Amino acid sequence: MRKLIITFFVVIMIAALTACGSNNAAPSKKSKDGGSITLAVPADPLVLNPNYASDRVTLTIQQALFAPLFYINGRNVTPALAEKLSVSKDQKTYELTLKKNLKWHDGKALTAKDVVFTLNSILDKKQNSDLRGNFVFNNKPVKAVALDNQTVKFTLPEVAPSFQLNLEQLYPIPQHVFANESNLQKSTKNNHPIGSGPYQFVTYKSGQYVELKKFNDFFGGKPHLDKVIFRVAKDQNAANLGLQNGSIQLKAIQPADVANVTGKGNVDVVSYPEYRLNYATFNENVPAFKNKTFRQAISYALNRDDIIKSAYGSNKYAVPASSIFTADVKFQNKNVQTYPYDLAKAKQLLDQSKVDKKQPLTILYLNNNKAQESIALYFQQQFKKIGLNLQLKPTDPAAWGNYALNRKSTAYGILLNGYIMGPEADTYKVLFQSTSPYNYANYHNAKLDKVWDAASVETDQAKRSADYDQIQNKIADDAVLYPISYDDALFALSKKYGGIKEAKPQPVTILRDLSKLYLK
Amino acid sequence: MATPSLLFWRELRLSRMILRRMLQIVPLLFVISVISFALVKLSPGDPVKMFVTPNMHPEDVERIRRSLGLNLPIYEQYFRWLGQIVHGNLGYSLQNSQPVLGQILQRLPATIGLMGTALAATLIIAIPLGLVAAKYENTWIDRLLNMISYISISIPVFWFGILLIEFFSVKLNWLPSLGMQTIGENSFVDLAQHAILPVTTLTFQGCGAYYRYVRSNTLSEIRKSYVEFGHAKGLSIWKLLWSHILKNVMLPVITLLGMSLPTLISGAYITESVFSWPGLGLLSVDAIFSLDYPIIMAMTLFSGLMLILGNLFADMTYQFVDPRIRK
Repeated sequence: MRKLIITFFVVIMIAALTACGSNNAAPSKKSKDGGSITLAVPADPLVLNPNYASDRVTLTIQQALFAPLFYINGRNVTPALAEKLSVSKDQKTYELTLKKNLKWHDGKALTAKDVVFTLNSILDKKQNSDLRGNFVFNNKPVKAVALDNQTVKFTLPEVAPSFQLNLEQLYPIPQHVFANESNLQKSTKNNHPIGSGPYQFVTYKSGQYVELKKFNDFFGGKPHLDKVIFRVAKDQNAANLGLQNGSIQLKAIQPADVANVTGKGNVDVVSYPEYRLNYATFNENVPAFKNKTFRQAISYALNRDDIIKSAYGSNKYAVPASSIFTADVKFQNKNVQTYPYDLAKAKQLLDQSKVDKKQPLTILYLNNNKAQESIALYFQQQFKKIGLNLQLKPTDPAAWGNYALNRKSTAYGILLNGYIMGPEADTYKVLFQSTSPYNYANYHNAKLDKVWDAASVETDQAKRSADYDQIQNKIADDAVLYPISYDDALFALSKKYGGIKEAKPQPVTILRDLSKLYLK
Repeated sequence: MATPSLLFWRELRLSRMILRRMLQIVPLLFVISVISFALVKLSPGDPVKMFVTPNMHPEDVERIRRSLGLNLPIYEQYFRWLGQIVHGNLGYSLQNSQPVLGQILQRLPATIGLMGTALAATLIIAIPLGLVAAKYENTWIDRLLNMISYISISIPVFWFGILLIEFFSVKLNWLPSLGMQTIGENSFVDLAQHAILPVTTLTFQGCGAYYRYVRSNTLSEIRKSYVEFGHAKGLSIWKLLWSHILKNVMLPVITLLGMSLPTLISGAYITESVFSWPGLGLLSVDAIFSLDYPIIMAMTLFSGLMLILGNLFADMTYQFVDPRIRK
């Protein structure tokens, strides 16, 4: 027993004495090249295959491993693997031209056949890709043909303006790797992905990290950093401490974390628009919320500035919202009814609505989301001021879908939620059309449904803009939802690194192009 | 002194006890699996809805549900799963489509390493301290150890872990705070450095309970007549503590140890989360949050198996520690 105790303490002492700090290889001071960076991600990636990536972590890692046809950030579209995309006059045929001499990480050529293969694998029902809906219109799929090694022709079954954006965001996968795989999702080839992004796969250790090394044949030029590590750090407080001790150099953070992570002065905090709308929607399955005047009364009882402060601690990283469209949508119209804070008017409208004030109302939100909890508490306090009883209903993320995706649900009166729908206005219709499974408000307006459909196939931009104006105004007038804020995203980056501007911060994946980051 | 024939009958009785317990494993695991499967399936939430995006057509969502067999009645889903298990196939994770067994095996060494070291350290520290506290009952040593044990039991694990990181990793920069190895390094020293803080956290948390068991049992033993007899024979209190009292004190500790064995593989979610330790605790809890039932079921079965084996181990160890039980 004595020997055992001594051995244990000796091991502990040796380890403690030999302990050291961060091991980032420092590059030559003269060169921008070399070194590595460690990014913290809150979970393991799921399937490292762009046909299946839908969570933030996988998409972030995918951004380094795979390259899209175009980079999209807000309204800016920049060619990536593609050189150009042209569209026919009838808007039913698109022709995509790839850049020359594109290569996969294994050295094989990336050609038009890979793009066609990717699209067909997404469309293959047996492959269960969640992107399939992006390329099927009115139950008819898009057809793709490789005209030569660089050119692909896409034929649409009908005019579909959302197709262009969906195509631009496509990340090709290599045909020569996946051609003989019967199940792409479960394929062992996903354990060692071959991509075309700035960094190539080295290893993945479950629960620990994903290690990538630079890909010298990247179409955007040789990456500066030799290695990129995505370190899985589940606990956000511990990960923020990792930023301070240098074991992590880049991490997405919350507004409430800014003071903590900048305390040691070794990181910069960067904020950028995420084109996300944070909102509260009113469930019209609940009789009280079926009443438009009641919904308007509630909207007048809420103060956006106060909500933003209660949710994020300050109004530095979010701006009050108005339209259902975010700023990346070119048809966004901010001059819609916003229901400025007016308690007297709220009470007056509430009386007019003749809704029974004593009936309990519920607000549903995620129990792991501190900002939503603060917003719910604020709503409760404001409802009390106008004589309403709002009950809090925090829910587990796993159970959230049972309420929110049930179109007959009366389990919530108000639902706190947020969305990043992208720059194409047509994609927003799934949230508002009467029969859509994602119509969380259970809002039914047959006339507006037709306007959505008309706008989606309208080729005249002026007419399309007028349609979307009508939609935004009607939804605001009907107080279908209460837009709270357009949120910024934030990340902290060690001051040792430069190239943030060139790496281009962007929603969801933090940076567009990690290859542009370098050690100062 | 036992005669050879008596020894034979004791050995036979022990073997029969082990055999009986082993035979009980299968029906017990079956019952555990039925209850666990029902609980998972009856809990609110739908695993398919976890990865639904507004871009997906409802028919695509339904196709995914069918492909995962989630459209079938619960009993049919259970028997499908059971059929796979009987053939040694734990299935695929619903979240990342990777084989469940592979994921568990990948994380098993990290979990056993962390939990085993912490458990060993807990026993090594708590047992002597419990004996010492009893020996010095009502002195400042006893009071100090009692106070530390109360802190150990009541302190929130995540807070203690963060405190250690703040001090040893951020302020002093002595120890790494994340993961179980430095990327690119594969040495034991590197692993030990990474293990110090999580092991310390778990050990500190575990010591309180074991210490209190040992202390209170030692206090009740120390007043028994055989100890007085030992004193009268001239044996020192330390000799009595280590050679005679400890054996009797160990019985409840063994029970506690048997019950702790499942944690060797189920891990410690909070500690693993704070220190980003790639253990099975994180895998299990993440699976619960995402309703990934193939992983939940596999982990429940493994934990159930370990609990049964832990109890068997405890029962067998009693016989060696206390000869009266053998009789």
